[in-house]
Amino acid sequence: IQLLEVTQHVETHKHIKSDDHKLSTEELEEKYGTSISKGLSSARAAEILARDGPNSLTPPKATPEIVKFLKQMVGGFSILLWIGAAFSWISFGIQFAQGAESPFDNLYLGVVLALVVILTGIFAYYQEAKSTNIMASFSKMIPQQALVIRDAEKKELPADQLVVGDIVEIKGGDRIPADIRLIFTQGCKVDNSSLTGESEPQSRSCDFTHENPLETRNIAFYSTTCVEGTATGIVINTGDRTIIGRIASLASGVGNGKTPIAIEIEHFVYLVAGVAISIGVLFFIISVSMRYKILDSIIFLIGIIVANVPEGLLATVTVSLSLTAKRMAKKNCLVKNLEAVETLGSTSIICSDKTGTLTQNRMTVAHLWFDDQIYSADTSEDQTTQPFDQSSQTWTALSKIVTLCNRAEFRPGQENLPVMKRVVVGDASETALLKFAEVVLGDVMDIRARNKKVAEIPFNSTNKFQLSIHETDDRNDKRFLLVMKGAPERILERCSTIMINGKEEPLDSEKAEAFQTAYMELGGMGERVLGFCHLYLPENEFPDTYPFDTDSMNFPTSNLCFVGLLSMIDPPRSTVPDAVSKCRSAGIKVIMVTGDHPITAKAIAKSVGIISATSETVEDMAKRLNVPVERVDRRQATAAVVNGMELKDMSLQQLDEVLCNHSEIVFARTSPQQKLIIVEGCQRQGAVVAVTGDGVNDSPALKKADIGIAMGIAGSDAAKNAADMVLLDDNFASIVTGVEEGRLIFDNLKKTIAYTLTKNIAELCPFLIYIIASIPMPIGTITILFIDLGTDIIPSVALAYEKAESDIMNRRPRNKSKDRLVNEQLAVYSYLHIGIMQSVGAFVTYFTVYAEQGFLPTTLLGVRVNWESNAINDFEDSYGQEWTKYQRTYLQWTGYTAFFVSITIQQVADLIIRKTRRNSIFQQGLFRNKVIWVGIFSQIGIALILTYGLGHVTALNFTPLRFQYWFVAVPFAILIWVYDEVRKLFIRRYPGSWWDKNMYY
Amino acid sequence: MARDKQKRSCGQVLAEWRAFVWDPRSRQVLGRTATSWGLILLFYLLFYGFLAGLFALTMWVLLQTVDPHVPKYQDRLATPGMMIRPRTETLDVAFNVSAAETWQHYVRLLHDFLEPYNDSVQAARNAACRPGRYHEQPDEAVPNVPKRACRFARSALGPCAGLGPPGTAFGYAAGRPCVLLKVNRVINYFPGENKSINVVCAAKREEDAARLGEMAMFPPNGTIDLMYFPYYGKRVHVNYTQPVVAVQFLNATANEDHHVECRLNAAGLRADDERDKFAGRVAFRLRINRD
Repeated sequence: IQLLEVTQHVETHKHIKSDDHKLSTEELEEKYGTSISKGLSSARAAEILARDGPNSLTPPKATPEIVKFLKQMVGGFSILLWIGAAFSWISFGIQFAQGAESPFDNLYLGVVLALVVILTGIFAYYQEAKSTNIMASFSKMIPQQALVIRDAEKKELPADQLVVGDIVEIKGGDRIPADIRLIFTQGCKVDNSSLTGESEPQSRSCDFTHENPLETRNIAFYSTTCVEGTATGIVINTGDRTIIGRIASLASGVGNGKTPIAIEIEHFVYLVAGVAISIGVLFFIISVSMRYKILDSIIFLIGIIVANVPEGLLATVTVSLSLTAKRMAKKNCLVKNLEAVETLGSTSIICSDKTGTLTQNRMTVAHLWFDDQIYSADTSEDQTTQPFDQSSQTWTALSKIVTLCNRAEFRPGQENLPVMKRVVVGDASETALLKFAEVVLGDVMDIRARNKKVAEIPFNSTNKFQLSIHETDDRNDKRFLLVMKGAPERILERCSTIMINGKEEPLDSEKAEAFQTAYMELGGMGERVLGFCHLYLPENEFPDTYPFDTDSMNFPTSNLCFVGLLSMIDPPRSTVPDAVSKCRSAGIKVIMVTGDHPITAKAIAKSVGIISATSETVEDMAKRLNVPVERVDRRQATAAVVNGMELKDMSLQQLDEVLCNHSEIVFARTSPQQKLIIVEGCQRQGAVVAVTGDGVNDSPALKKADIGIAMGIAGSDAAKNAADMVLLDDNFASIVTGVEEGRLIFDNLKKTIAYTLTKNIAELCPFLIYIIASIPMPIGTITILFIDLGTDIIPSVALAYEKAESDIMNRRPRNKSKDRLVNEQLAVYSYLHIGIMQSVGAFVTYFTVYAEQGFLPTTLLGVRVNWESNAINDFEDSYGQEWTKYQRTYLQWTGYTAFFVSITIQQVADLIIRKTRRNSIFQQGLFRNKVIWVGIFSQIGIALILTYGLGHVTALNFTPLRFQYWFVAVPFAILIWVYDEVRKLFIRRYPGSWWDKNMYY
Repeated sequence: MARDKQKRSCGQVLAEWRAFVWDPRSRQVLGRTATSWGLILLFYLLFYGFLAGLFALTMWVLLQTVDPHVPKYQDRLATPGMMIRPRTETLDVAFNVSAAETWQHYVRLLHDFLEPYNDSVQAARNAACRPGRYHEQPDEAVPNVPKRACRFARSALGPCAGLGPPGTAFGYAAGRPCVLLKVNRVINYFPGENKSINVVCAAKREEDAARLGEMAMFPPNGTIDLMYFPYYGKRVHVNYTQPVVAVQFLNATANEDHHVECRLNAAGLRADDERDKFAGRVAFRLRINRD
């Protein structure tokens, strides 16, 4: 069924015209100019390689580097700064033409602004390139090798050197290196799950069994795995022409939208740019109507733009995100796309695979039934003992069958590894039984050696049993032991007695009933059940030398003694139930999407909590109420298990209804294509959807999802390429840790932005008051840049290290349209509350500096024109002294420095208050986040260096500042802190009040 | 990650805006109810009222701590600047001898400037001091007692005093213009380390000296008497008369720019600051046009 869908999927886009599967070996040899025994000649192979290109998938077309770079140069605030730079150069041009005395100031300013844009652009580009490189290195980690016959010799070649017509040999465990037409097979099985999602291995042979190349058994596909057996085949397709290659190219057709955080940042940029432009234009008009010269007005405009734009913020956001990405990588979430960090945090639905993600991806014995009783076995990842009652004789007999009737073996040389970690040669059920026996009984291989095998019939699908005959290790007992396991009903048919407490008892209808009940119960738990029986062959009939013949079956295979049942399941990972319940309290809906049987899927869903203990599906309700399914009110059922077949017949509305009405949903027997439909359905509900996937066919769904999560271990390259994130340990629990980090960074980015926006007002007010009150300029444009790109950078990054204020996994995912990164409250509180307070503090310092040098505040009002006149070199101060232009300018720079220092000091307070949005600083702890202190010290350190170290470089407009002026703003810093504590106190005291609504950001 | 933006029609947008401006259902104006608006306005009134009060208070405290007579720091004024009169928007003295309207305003400016230097004013307000030494007036018992200023005789400026017949004032009509030079007031500044100080003028570049021609200084030699120092500040030294030196250009070549630099010649005064072109010196452009 699933293969058919792939076919349809592929054929709707590109027709597969291939008849290689129909051709005979000879025809194939002729078609590809090769020889099955000798292979291609190296020369011919080189020719074909030159024609077809290497056998690898072309990575999705990347945006050219230069385009990426230019995007960084014009994105975000860069445009505003470019405008500022352009204005600076224009005014330089005009002033230069007029022969003014110092036109170069504006030239420099323009150059500095351009430099700022270019440097931040380079930085952002570098950051992006770095995270892309992580992925690039990741996909190149394992170079694949292939065993090829060329020039009549077997050679190991890198798989990408394969060409059409090559003869390749594969064995169990290999990845198929290209699309291969099989010409010789021996017990070959392939795992096509990466292509079709079908988890059962499928056998492969040389026979042409189906018209459709995708269905026939004699073709093995690129990137699938050979599970067991060996095979030889002719390469018929390489690289992008393979089936996988064609599907992978489909994935690139699915659109890639903006991430939530990108939308948030865009919203924020619009907001700030809007404020900057409107204030700029408003004051341009005001200054023109106040009869300022147009040129001066333009210079004011530049100042206002520069003051308003948080130049360093976008770089800070990038750094914060990449810090979180690093932290997530440590927790096994490798983020390809930085913005995906936050997307994960806003996730409201996770569509998770079952196998390997929720489960351990290995069959494990879960239950035993013997002595008419069900025992549970330990299914955790690192079992060392089994706690169930092992005293019964029946168990001894059962354990013997489990040990002996088993062909699986440990690979040698793993004696020091824990049992569960050892590699086993054999199929999944036998592996489970082997490991189970090894844990309970100890050295299985030794037991087998002591109970020599004399005959064996392997499992096959007609018999549905496996049988072997052994000598026993009991020296006094010369009888042979016949052991058998298989499908329980088939085994039971062959039995006439049953072992109860070590004694054989006749199998009457009552005992058969008990068997049926146990079988149904175990099967109902979604487990794969096996029956076990044995028979001691009578010594007289079967002496030492008896020639057992497995073809003629010259030994009894009926009237055996039934011993017990063992059931196996791929058990959930032990961390998953906890993670699922975390998701539940975090308001994230977990949907299981699996190719497995609904019963198994439901059982696993129940055991990990995706379907909670109390909730029922429609079928459960029908069963409980004893009414037909149709008569049950569907809305009453909280859980739903949807079969892939049902899904196929559903209309979009019906799917929406299912997704809407049920909080606990399992999709079983679904194909990877249906995953895409499910994802789209969830997105129609307005959800932010995370999807896990490993197969090639998952890649469209991974692309479509808001955040695609590929499996690092089981995942195919195509899935990893399409995904935004790679889960290194394939563990669902890691997604939840990722969600936690994502939510935290959203909160912390809010804090960072609030911190950064605040001082913009303290930078803007000087311009406004300068224009309106005509006082000497309180702060220079260059000085502003030193705050934005100097003192403030490290502290704002430090906020990314802030711990969560409360349990962030206890609240609902943010509503994309309501919970904005930058909301009205944040902007208003930063701009109109703290920002204004900072401005007042900075102005007090400014007036203090001027007053102590001879210019009392009242003298300063309205002096701008004379103050700035080059011709006036006897400007009178409040004391009757006269000042030259340079003496005034130097004082003005001292004013800049004082203003700068005051903002820096108050930004320390701002930094401390931004640690929390609701809790008191004392609840959060002042010293828990050490990086904040690094930020504070760096801030003050940079300010000290600028004032005292670079105070003599005139171009920077800093002057050494008298030490006491550092403290003028300290009371205001304390006031800011007290005010914010009061704000938080009222928010905590009166939740939902007017204050809470207006003051909480 | 594909998500299309919801497209809204123009009408919808308009309706949304209208609902934002006035929502009759929830009785909200611009997204807030009347109570909410009231509270927010009251809040900002109180908040900004408090901040304004706080600012006013700190300014008041600042003014209380500042000495009204002498500023706390004078480090920026270690070298006093110099300036010329007439002062215009640029440091230029440029006129056409035959067109009176081009120099009339210079003359008027100079007259205005010299008004307080009239003998009548000086005699009434100022004291005759002993020339050749600083006129110190230390506070005895009472701090900040008013200080007396020394007389400056306008007539000492000779032809540049502007006392002659109106048409000939300051020599502009004759193409021999006067420019007055003054040293910036700095409180408690003692120039020249008790040795006499004077102002000298010259062409900025030596090779131009010939074309600039002869100059006459008034008082002779461009001397500034030490008795005019120190200055005690505008509050206690109300009638302080700033000493002036005049330079008259006797036969500067006409129809070309002359760059003149005058400096204060005083012991211990450095007038060569690279950045401050007006510390202890002044440079200006002179141009006399003749038809």
